[in-house]
Amino acid sequence: MLPIFQFVGIAMFGLGFFGLLYKTSFVEMLIGVELMLNGAALSIMAAAQFTAASAALGQLATLLVMGLAAAESALVLAIILIVRKRFGRVESDEISSLKG
Amino acid sequence: MDRLTPFVFGAYALLILFGGLFAAASRDLVRAFVGLLVSFAGVAGMYFLMNAPFVAFMQVLVYICAVSVIVFLAVMVTVESREGRNMPPKPLRRRLAAVLSGGLMVLMLSGMVLKHPLQSLAKAKAVSMAELGRELMGTYGLAFELISVILFVAMLGAMVLVHERRKG
Repeated sequence: MLPIFQFVGIAMFGLGFFGLLYKTSFVEMLIGVELMLNGAALSIMAAAQFTAASAALGQLATLLVMGLAAAESALVLAIILIVRKRFGRVESDEISSLKG
Repeated sequence: MDRLTPFVFGAYALLILFGGLFAAASRDLVRAFVGLLVSFAGVAGMYFLMNAPFVAFMQVLVYICAVSVIVFLAVMVTVESREGRNMPPKPLRRRLAAVLSGGLMVLMLSGMVLKHPLQSLAKAKAVSMAELGRELMGTYGLAFELISVILFVAMLGAMVLVHERRKG
């Protein structure tokens, strides 16, 4: 059972990675990162539930990934709000200059 | 019941893959968001299949309810700035680069899984919620505290970032 679950996780990770590279808008990139994190969590969980490793550790690791994803998305939302206020749009190829 | 498992697994896998495809490749932001939600729901189903109902409920609670609200807020903020502007189609080079690097990543990881197969159990293990709670408060207490600190700092950082000092 384990490899099938891991293949689904890998496919999800790959889709997220594709989205992250292909899209230019910050919101779409955020969606890609969420997909990647979910794929990784799925893989961790499968590895913990279907091998001799500690199952509790795997479940807790998945919960920690969820916490990280929540923190990350809150920060990205704040960054999107600021970029939108300063530049009027949120595409990464427009916003490529830094100024002190 | 065991005979049903492959069908249920297939349904969840389809949800995840099609949702992910929509989320990653759709030009419409709202469509991408709905794809993301469908994908999250599929993952929650996978957790149920893996005999981890608590994590599945957390997936519903944290991802489908909380994170999706944050992503939806971001979609709402940006969707009007995209309206009325016809987005130029992305250059072929960029599309090719994204497909190639995503495909390479999938190939590499799948190769690793195939090359080093782990001893797989036939049935998923069951962990009671009481045991999870004990581990969280005992062995992995530090990780639990650290993730709370990270969440707190992230929220604080987000608030400081968007805070505007009142003028006058």
